[in-house]
Formats: sequence, C-alpha cells, structure tokens
Amino acid sequence: MTELKDVVCPFCGCLCDDLVISITANRITKNKNGCSISRTKFLNHLEDRIVHPTIGVDDSKVEATLDEAIQRAVTILANSKRLLVYGLSSTENDAHREAYKIAEITGGVVDNTSSVCHGTTILGSQESGEPHGSLAEVRHRSDLVIYWGANPQFAHPRHMSRYTRAAGEFVKDPKNERQIWVFDIRKSMTAQAANRFVRITPGSDLELLNAMRAILRGHKLDVESVGGLSLAEISDIVTSMKNAKYGAFFFGLGLSQSKGKHRNVDAAIRLIQDLNYYTRWNLMPMRGHFNVAGANKTSTWQTGYPFAVDYSRGYPRYQPGEYTAVDLLVREECDAFLNIAADPAAHFPRRALKHLAKIPIINLDPKNNMTSLIAEVNIPTALSGIECDGAAARMDGLPLYLKKVVEPPKGVLPDREVLRMIFDGLRRVCD
Amino acid sequence: MNKVGVAALLTSGRTLKQGRGMELGKMSKEYFDEVSVCEMDSTSLKVLGISEGDTVLVESKYGEVIVKSRLDKRAEPGIVFIPCGPYVNMVTGSDTEESGMPNFKNISVVIYSAKGEKVLTVEQLLKEAIGGT
Repeated sequence: MTELKDVVCPFCGCLCDDLVISITANRITKNKNGCSISRTKFLNHLEDRIVHPTIGVDDSKVEATLDEAIQRAVTILANSKRLLVYGLSSTENDAHREAYKIAEITGGVVDNTSSVCHGTTILGSQESGEPHGSLAEVRHRSDLVIYWGANPQFAHPRHMSRYTRAAGEFVKDPKNERQIWVFDIRKSMTAQAANRFVRITPGSDLELLNAMRAILRGHKLDVESVGGLSLAEISDIVTSMKNAKYGAFFFGLGLSQSKGKHRNVDAAIRLIQDLNYYTRWNLMPMRGHFNVAGANKTSTWQTGYPFAVDYSRGYPRYQPGEYTAVDLLVREECDAFLNIAADPAAHFPRRALKHLAKIPIINLDPKNNMTSLIAEVNIPTALSGIECDGAAARMDGLPLYLKKVVEPPKGVLPDREVLRMIFDGLRRVCD
Repeated sequence: MNKVGVAALLTSGRTLKQGRGMELGKMSKEYFDEVSVCEMDSTSLKVLGISEGDTVLVESKYGEVIVKSRLDKRAEPGIVFIPCGPYVNMVTGSDTEESGMPNFKNISVVIYSAKGEKVLTVEQLLKEAIGGT
C-alpha cells in the first residue's frame, strides 16, 4: 500500500491540500481528511465512467477509436460557423490553454461555467474592485465572519472547520474570540451552526447592503425597516462590523444569482471598501467547482477577459449577455458545442437545452452525464487531480498543484492531451 | 389532481447529498433521489393535503416538473427549495438580463399535490425537455 500525503482535493473551491490518499494496486482505498463529497469522489472515481469514445451514426452511438473520435470532432469544429467552447471549471489550467487555442483558430466563442455561477461577481468586481485577502488571513486574524447567501456546510464542507472555526495565530480560541453570522433567506445548515442568523426578505440584498452602507456613513433613513430588518437591527450589525478587528465577508450564489445580480455584488464590495476606512475587511466569493477561479484567471491571461469571449473577428471581444453560453443557446446562435468537464444539459434552463440538443456536441468528460446522452462525440478523459496532474486556483486565488494519484483507465488521456490532438487536427485543416 | 396550490418562491443550491450523488454519477440513484425533491415547511404539506414523500407538481411561468416532497423542519412558509440539477431547471427562466446568468433563485412557483404521479428519470426528463414545448 502506498500513502500519498498533502494531496489537493479537486471538488470545490476550497482545494483542501491536506488529504492523505491510500492506494493499493492502482486502486484508491482510503481518503483521510477529505469531506464526505471528497471521499465519494476519490473512492468512486471509476464508477459510471465513459468507457470508450463514441460517435453518432444514424441517431445512435457507436464505439470508436480515439483517432476516429478526434477526426469526427475536427470535422464538426472545422465546419462550424459559430462554435461555443464551454466548461473548463472542473479541469486543470493546461487544458484551458488548449481550449482557448481551439476557440481562436475556429473563430468561435469560449465561455466557462462561471457565467452561470459567479460571472456576475466578476461584473461587480469590474465595476468596483476586489477587496480580497487570503483564506489564511481569515483563519489567523478574523474575529467576525459573515456568510451571505452561502451554505458552506453543504457546498464547501470543510470551509468552516479549516478557516472560520479553526484557531489561528491571533485567534487562539475561535469559539469565544470569533463570531460567525449568516445572512440568508432560509435557515440553512450553516445558519444552524452560526452564532447569529439574520433572515432577510428574498430579493432584498441590494436594498439591505445599500442601507448598511448609508448607516455606516451616518445617514438617517426615512424608513422603519429594510429587507425584513428593523433599522435598529441594521445599526447594530453595522456597528459590530465597524468594530471588528478583522472581518471576512464570504458570499455565495444567494447574492450573485439573486435579483440585482452584479449590482448586489457591487453593493457588497462598496460596503467592504467603506468598512476598510475604519478597520480591515476581506471579501471573497465562495467559488463552487475546484478550478472555476482558475478558468477565470487563465481566460484573462490568454484572452484578456475572464469569460464570454468571442473570437469571430480574429481577436478576442468580451460581452456577457451576448457571448455567454445560455444566451448563445437561447438565441440559437451557435452551431456546434465543445463541452469540456461540465454538464450543461443538467444545469442550463430548459429553453437553452432545446437548441443544445439540435447541434452537434463534442463532449470531453470522465463520466457519463446528461450531456453525454445527447453528444455526437464522447471522448473519455482522465479526472484532474486524481488521474492526472495540473494546476488549479483556490477561491482566494492561490494556485495549487494537483497531484496524479493513480493511473487513468487504459487509453484514457487528460483533457489537455485530447484538446491538443483536436487543435493539431484543426490546424491541419484550417491553416 | 388536486388544484389547490401553494404559492411560493423557489430557490436552488447545492446539498451534501447532491454533491455526493454528482460524484457517484449523474445516472446514479443517489443523484436522482436527491435532485428530484422539493423541500418545504410542514404548513405547506398540510395545506396541500399530502405527506412527506408524496409527489408534487411545481409550476412556474417557464414550465412545470413533478418531484417528491420533502419536509424541511427549519423552513418557513413561502420559500421552497429544490437542489440544483435538471429538475429545478425545468421551471427556471432563461432570460439573463444581459448578464449571462439566468434567474436560479427566487422563482415564483405554485405547488400542487400530484399524489400518485411518477417522477421522471433523468433520461426521461431530458427527453421531455428537448422534445417538449
């Protein structure tokens, strides 16, 4: 039996880097330190796999060799007029590079899954800035932590135990020296575990954040309550935030996906900026997939923009709402879809699915999913962080190296290799 | 089907079981069992005249879907929850208001009892979504 230490977990944006993985005869037998989702991911990585490449022939899928599948993919992509390359958040950074090259050579669009999670957070940051800090700072310094529209007990199971309930350099007794507050429209498991739960009216985030800002700046409000909270309660919250030595404001999709979207995030950023006149506050989105933060970073490095990038004019252009996946599908604009490590058929609204089902999909994923059911070409790939190495970015932006802990199934290559083969095929056709 | 409905705001998100189910496989029973439920408070169940586990029809202006009901002891009337996945997306709108993001939160829905109706499998649901109106 081999024991690998300090393995990084490729599930959520926490990228927990303290897993100990036991391996016997290329089989993972134990995941020590991982949360229940992490354990499920490592111990069941061979379950429900796409076992071999398939291509569509007369409304059915037939088994194909990797070369045949690549050739079919190249033919589809080369003939497309408006390709959409999508996904990327559950694969490593080197695969991203190949995806951008494919979008560029075909004059297509490349979008990542952040367009349906924290894309609006990025829009808010582009408007107002990014008062960021690291997760380590939160652990070592914070005495007040707010989770707004986030449920880490379910979505980031070790976030609290590693960063907000753990003792740190300057917070030796977190139970007594640190407060955890949850703002949400429903009492989640996280709210249950917090020191204070603030129930807010659905869709009132923008109003409430702006009221908090106004009160912090000393303005008098001519109303009795905002977002379901009395002015006295809001004043009490704001005073505590102002008096914190180090505050951390974590927010989830409850803020970025709710009514107001990027304006909600914009208001939260402005509130944190205002608080930084008095004390230190750190704002951070709770990124979901393990490398969705990395997808935004690599996209920005390579194209200049974090998501929704169009290459149809030969150079990158950026326009959320125009070049974002759901919009392109609803407008029936794209005529081919290259899906990399995502499952749009499971996560897009039904109206977007109608067009998705009409166009040829090339699907790269380790496992069967709803998109693989309707894809014209399925190519199995290795699981990043388990069957192949690579780099990924944690929710606070820290890049971490993902280890390869076991060999992938025979003949299965990493996303980056398959994408490189597709790109090489396209280069021969397109150049 | 009983046409006494309960109006609510529907929200979605990750659950621990949904995360585990996803990693086991989208075709797994664990995934299906977790994403095809609607969590609600006890008063809503009472008004609908159903017990936990009975099926309900969730209807929005964008579509409808049949899922199993589940009691959430911490919930209050007026807000219901379906874990993120294909079932909630049957009633999600696609307008992104030029942001790229559809409205996955706070969708106005009406819930009806659909006792005895069957919940479609993931494959059947996909077929209906891409073939239906």
